[in-house]
Amino acid sequence: MKTENQRAWFFVLPVLLLVAFNALVPIMTVVNYSVQETFGNNVFFWQGLDWFEQILRSDRFQAALGRQFLFTFLILIIEIPLGIIIALSMPKKGMWVPVCLVLMALPMLIPWNVVGAMWNIFTLPKIGLLGYFMNDVLGISYDMTQNPFAAWVTIIVMDVWHWTSLVVLLSYAGLVSIPDAYYQAAKIDGASPWKVFRYIQLPKMKTVLTIAILLRFMDSFNIYTEPFVLTGGGPGNSTTLLSIDLVKIALGQFDLGPAAAMSLIYFAITLLVSWLFYTLMTKDDAK
Amino acid sequence: MKRLLCLVALLPTTVWAQGWGNVANQQEEKGFSWTDPLWPAFWMAWTPATFALFCCIFGAIAIIGVLEVFKYRDGVERRGVLGLTTTLGDRLFISLLGSAYIFLAWLGLVGQPLWGPLGLAIVWGVFVFWKV
Repeated sequence: MKTENQRAWFFVLPVLLLVAFNALVPIMTVVNYSVQETFGNNVFFWQGLDWFEQILRSDRFQAALGRQFLFTFLILIIEIPLGIIIALSMPKKGMWVPVCLVLMALPMLIPWNVVGAMWNIFTLPKIGLLGYFMNDVLGISYDMTQNPFAAWVTIIVMDVWHWTSLVVLLSYAGLVSIPDAYYQAAKIDGASPWKVFRYIQLPKMKTVLTIAILLRFMDSFNIYTEPFVLTGGGPGNSTTLLSIDLVKIALGQFDLGPAAAMSLIYFAITLLVSWLFYTLMTKDDAK
Repeated sequence: MKRLLCLVALLPTTVWAQGWGNVANQQEEKGFSWTDPLWPAFWMAWTPATFALFCCIFGAIAIIGVLEVFKYRDGVERRGVLGLTTTLGDRLFISLLGSAYIFLAWLGLVGQPLWGPLGLAIVWGVFVFWKV
């Protein structure tokens, strides 16, 4: 029999109000802006769905969306396996556990714009340590301000450096929660390390990995500060991801209508991918 | 005489209401339009059309909430044709998100007007609530 207690709703109410103010009101405003044109001063003219049509058909939007998907895909296929490997090789007991945990948490404590500035200075060809090492010591031409490929490598390595720790810490939390009895049973059965990983560790990490992938997807799909500080979207438009392009349209060109339409399309993509992923990952649990 | 005095008394109010320079200009009454600003100069830039859209969405959420609490207390979840376990709220979410994509896809591939995707979205909504 279910225990009914409607008082719980009152405890949820502050969160609902907070969400209403910081999410619902802005989203409703963006929807209003996306169907109108404004030249400032709170004067609006009806535009219908023209902005949506224009954005969806523009080469600029399609290119930025393509770059965004590529970036997120590369981030996920590098960070998730790397995070799991690092978590598996971390000690489970002893004095090195806190040391490893603190070391892993350090990159995440650095503010995003500082990470961008740090990597900018680090990779500049003349003054940066990495830039100098690549160009003058190894003799490999590396200039992320001129070469699109170098710029892409730099933003991906920077993101891997900054956020793999999140996957590591979540995977580690999943790993340490596995009781020793599982490992003992596997040892008695003579299971190989791969089989232990495949049939014990991976299933037990599934929930935290779902969260890790979801968080990394949403963060990398909405990333703005780090690549903006590092490359400013350049050279050319080669690292202009969707959010950078959106800010250029909204604040650079002050085209609030098209920017609002673009952000709603952006939101719809994030919502669909997150929902699909969450639904597929939790589908088996519901059976 | 009384009537004249009344007219003189009303004159400043009329002048004030219309602006000193516009006393002779009659303001043209505009009819209701779905696309005009609902509250001019308000920063949220509401129009009756977008206001109605959100009223429909919140109304649908409210109806689903009331149904889930009072009518379908037990056994509200079911497994549909897609193999998903969904509640009424899930089905509303899938309908709305799917409809948004139907409209966006039509806008990107075909363009306006949007009667076609409206029909498709209605069919999609009925399918989701019926089978998913």
